[in-house]
Amino acid sequence: MLSRLEAKKPSLCYSEPLTTEKVRATLSVLKGILTSCYGPSGRLKQLHNGMGGAVCTTSQSAVLLRNLSVTHPILKILTTSVQNHVSCFSDCGLFTAILCCNLIENVQKTDLTVTTTIKLNTHLLNFCTNYLRSEVCGCRIPVDFSNTPILLCLVRSILTSKPACMLTRKEIDHISVLILRAFLLTIPENTEDPIILGKSIIVPLKGQRVTDSTVLPGVLIEVSEVQLMKILLVRKSSPLKVVLFSTSLSGDFSDPGEGNVVVSDGVFLENAVLDQLINLGRQLVSDRVELVLCQKVIHPSLKQFLTTHQVIAIDRVGVMLMEPLSKVTGAQPIGSLGSISPGSYGSVKDWCSAKFGCKHFFHLIPNEATVSSLLLCNRSDTAWDELKTYEEPGSILQDDGCTQAELQLIAEAFCSALESLAGSLEHDGGEILIDMKYGHFWSIQAGPSSVVNWTDLLSRCGCGVYSSQEELGWSFLRSTCHPFVPQTCLPHESWEVSPQSAHSLTLDCLTAKLSGLQVAVETANLILDLAYVIEDKS
Amino acid sequence: MVMACRVMNKRRHMGLQQLSSFAETGRTFLGPVKSSKFITDEECHESVLVSSTVRLLESLEMTSATGQLLNEAVQAQNDTYRTGATTLLFLAGAWSSAVEECLHLGVPIAIIVSVMSEALNSCSEEVVSLQVPVHNIFDHMGSTKAISELETVSVSLCPFLQDPSGASSVQEEHDHRDGVPQLTTYNLSRRPVKSPKFFQPDAKIEAGENTSQTLKNSLHTDTFRKSIFIHSRHFNRTDNNQGIHKPDRFQEQRGATTFQTYRCDDLAELAVGLSHGDHSSMKLVEEAVRLQYQNACMQQGNCGVPFVFDISRLFTCTLPGLPETFSCVCPGYIMLVSISCAALIKELQNQPIRVVLIEGDLTESYRHLGFNKSTNIKTVLDSVKLQEDSSEELWANHVLQLLIQFNVNLILVKGNVSEHLTEKCMHSKRLVVGSVNGHVIQAFAEATGAVQVAYITQVNEDCVGNGISVAFWRKPLDVVDRNNRIPVLLKTERINLITAVLASPVSAQMQTKEDRFWTCAYRIYHALKEEKVFLGGSAVEFLCLSHLQILAEQPLQKGDRACLGWLRDTSSWLASSLAIYRPTVLKCLANGWYKYLSVLLYNTASYSSELEASTFIQHHLQNAIGSGSPSSYILKEYSKLASGIFNSSISNKLEQFPRVYDVVTPKIEAWRRALDLVLLVLQTDSEIITGLGHVQINSQKLEGFLFL
Repeated sequence: MLSRLEAKKPSLCYSEPLTTEKVRATLSVLKGILTSCYGPSGRLKQLHNGMGGAVCTTSQSAVLLRNLSVTHPILKILTTSVQNHVSCFSDCGLFTAILCCNLIENVQKTDLTVTTTIKLNTHLLNFCTNYLRSEVCGCRIPVDFSNTPILLCLVRSILTSKPACMLTRKEIDHISVLILRAFLLTIPENTEDPIILGKSIIVPLKGQRVTDSTVLPGVLIEVSEVQLMKILLVRKSSPLKVVLFSTSLSGDFSDPGEGNVVVSDGVFLENAVLDQLINLGRQLVSDRVELVLCQKVIHPSLKQFLTTHQVIAIDRVGVMLMEPLSKVTGAQPIGSLGSISPGSYGSVKDWCSAKFGCKHFFHLIPNEATVSSLLLCNRSDTAWDELKTYEEPGSILQDDGCTQAELQLIAEAFCSALESLAGSLEHDGGEILIDMKYGHFWSIQAGPSSVVNWTDLLSRCGCGVYSSQEELGWSFLRSTCHPFVPQTCLPHESWEVSPQSAHSLTLDCLTAKLSGLQVAVETANLILDLAYVIEDKS
Repeated sequence: MVMACRVMNKRRHMGLQQLSSFAETGRTFLGPVKSSKFITDEECHESVLVSSTVRLLESLEMTSATGQLLNEAVQAQNDTYRTGATTLLFLAGAWSSAVEECLHLGVPIAIIVSVMSEALNSCSEEVVSLQVPVHNIFDHMGSTKAISELETVSVSLCPFLQDPSGASSVQEEHDHRDGVPQLTTYNLSRRPVKSPKFFQPDAKIEAGENTSQTLKNSLHTDTFRKSIFIHSRHFNRTDNNQGIHKPDRFQEQRGATTFQTYRCDDLAELAVGLSHGDHSSMKLVEEAVRLQYQNACMQQGNCGVPFVFDISRLFTCTLPGLPETFSCVCPGYIMLVSISCAALIKELQNQPIRVVLIEGDLTESYRHLGFNKSTNIKTVLDSVKLQEDSSEELWANHVLQLLIQFNVNLILVKGNVSEHLTEKCMHSKRLVVGSVNGHVIQAFAEATGAVQVAYITQVNEDCVGNGISVAFWRKPLDVVDRNNRIPVLLKTERINLITAVLASPVSAQMQTKEDRFWTCAYRIYHALKEEKVFLGGSAVEFLCLSHLQILAEQPLQKGDRACLGWLRDTSSWLASSLAIYRPTVLKCLANGWYKYLSVLLYNTASYSSELEASTFIQHHLQNAIGSGSPSSYILKEYSKLASGIFNSSISNKLEQFPRVYDVVTPKIEAWRRALDLVLLVLQTDSEIITGLGHVQINSQKLEGFLFL
């Protein structure tokens, strides 16, 4: 064959990439997009390809960054590191991205050399992290699993910050409780170290009402009505001996690779494979297996054989369910058609059939329920796609600007970056105040600032911990203020005493926020440190 | 790859404007009198006749992002409920104008979102008072005799000349009711129903019911007459005479009795109420429900299990080009087969035959789903022997042998069928039918004991079903459709399948007719499933309107937790300014209902202009709000209101009209979806175009785009 060789094009090299006008412009566009999405009243974005493709409406960093096709290497660094953070913590993505953009932008405005700023940034980051981790920190609320209101607040805060879910208050409460219940179900009953959390499987059910969502222990496998009718014919017994196949039992031959296989006339490969499958079926029947689960397809003849021998056969389970199924039944997934060792069989307590909406399900009830299925309903695709679960145990951080406002007081150089981040929670032209006692975040309508009696105008701070009755001094965020040490938070007991206020708290996950802070600063440092971009044009 | 980003609302919100202009296209579909539309393609000069929102949106190419979201919302509503799409479309339009108005007045977006969303919740709670329980519909039907084969009720009414109030049926009813309340048949055809016996038990019940009411109201015979014959011309006359001069006692009495009698336990009444003017389709649906009920009774003996209407066992068979009189409902499955099978069917008639059900295709090359065929396997011939038959011929012979072995004369196949095999089977007096609906196959599996198989080679004695009868649906060659196909009826003793045969002389109307049949069927299905309906004729929407007006006038108490809960983010300054903006937003939302009602009224041709309709609403709105409790006002004045909305065009001809009902959950979900869509678009501030789509944005439009 004749192959054409082309001379390689020389690579392009830009120096000081951040100084170019184009990069700055794109960075500010990206920042604009992200900032307007932030917070519970953040604006949504419609993502589509402009040619009639599916439209995605979102304000989530994960969805947004996945769909943005950025070209410039600097932007790529930024989006990739945020995406990495989101994939680990599934929270605080926008916080991270906006903070990073702000840092880059603000540092450029100063005259400091890059190395100095990087050193300073790292130092301040450590300072912040230490403060947030320390017991003095006024933003921390300890969490234990006996205190469900706090956990509910966390879930609710996250759900509220996703306006594209289009949930009403009642629906948010319903979903929050379900998510929490699903999460608590994943914690094993006997607490041995280390605790291995179970898994919640999300079963989509679009078109139904949100309040029809529910949590069930065990695994739900969607089956067709026809299949279910056949399953129902099988005699019921419990517990059942289970076998789990990850290989296809459809009777096709594994890919012979390139080249041809020559078979002499009168030999039917398909029949030979089917015979092998039926032999496998015979072994399963003689081993008294009662339930055969297969990730892929089971040959109809094998299914018929198993059903006539009172064995339930369910195929096309899908790769997503394989791990939970193995966990629930204790069965080892089998990857070949050879003989099966008795050790790979598992068992399950019981099963039943269920119907939700227009879908039929085979419901597997395990002996020990650390795996649960969260049946999530929403009216439309758009809203369903936006609805995701976030579960992260650990300490919780108060949010809605309060943290940012506090941080700002501690770290002077970070000041404007964090300040404008806190400011970006406001999308309707209001002003933001900060109190001089706790350093929390307050919101007020823009207008004549000569109002003296702020206590009347303000009701609650951003996170809902403090109400305006207390004697606090306020000042505008962004105005010059005297440094002060924020007072330590209320004593621990008060969280349990006041379930009323706990209902309306806005909370954030501490680990996610800390990591977000770290990722933002480090990414900003990395980007600031970039001296050259080398592009391979060929 | 570059990506463009466009800021959507520079001054006016583009998305909202698009929504309201899209919604304008479906305006004429609102209400029982629907005007059809022709959609023509200018390029290929093809045109489609549409008369429903779903079909309209299917035919329009909406490439804009907002258009797609609208389409998605309408499709989702239609897929889940099969009704409410027009309501959704119209309200989406009306509310996007309402939201635009709010924006214009400077209301912050967060406040619009939370107030509107909570106000709609409040409306949904309020309208519960207009729910009518649907109970014991089937208690009275137990004694009904099973109707004999093929005895069906014919219906003849041109679907495009719908009368909103059910003029023809009411006329007849009216004649009866002039005397003692007796046999009530909502018969649509002018000729008598074939089997009057069929309706007998219902009539008895109705009579019995009325008697009990007579007893209840025996002290006020006049009042009784009023509550039952609200629209009889005698009543109207007395109302005019007495109502004005001595209204006090009678008015009150009437209000009280009407209040109590809102319940629905008669299938015929429910069907007429839910028909929304489409009586011919609804008549068929009602028959289908009755047939299925009788079937269930016969199978279970004494009806111990409560009957559930199973819509998945209802099918339609369309006969375009045939006269309306052929429309009917039959037990069993009716399918169209080629006229060349006529002789075969004649042979198979009058004998129980055995059936095999195939899940996939019936062709030589078919393999089950998930089977990957290897392409690189070659067969070499050992010796030089000429193959006489092709592999398909061999396969067909093998299949035929199996069929002969198990004495099977009917093969129902879900997928495609090899033509060669069909022909071969025909010669040996076996009927093969392809493309049969999965539910039909499932129903035959249940009724005959057959087991569905993927391959014919899987067939053993246990898989074969028994006792199917095949017959011509009408006399042979009486009914032949345009494609030279004849309808054939498949039945077994225990089959619970019902087929509605829909015929229309105008082929272009066939699709519409079928759609309408299903809309009616799903309305009845939802009503029976939920065991409740709304008082229809826009009573619900009217209540929402008056409820919102009242809410808007109520001042907010400061520090009221319930009100603070209206806002997602309670800490924001917006919470404190909620009280200022709330009435404005509520009024805008109410305007959406107002628009809905006036267009509905105008569309029913009762009013010559929307203004006139609007005056009517305004009048009653003031009364409702003035009365203190809109819901009881509506219950009291329901018949007047509904007649204004549904009946006034023909009210001079007919003073009587049956109650109108609406389905509950589908309606409320349609509202919710409409508002969700509007608020979703409202909260969207920019459109991000990914991939290569931006290339098509031409240079003039480039203004306003930012590139990443």
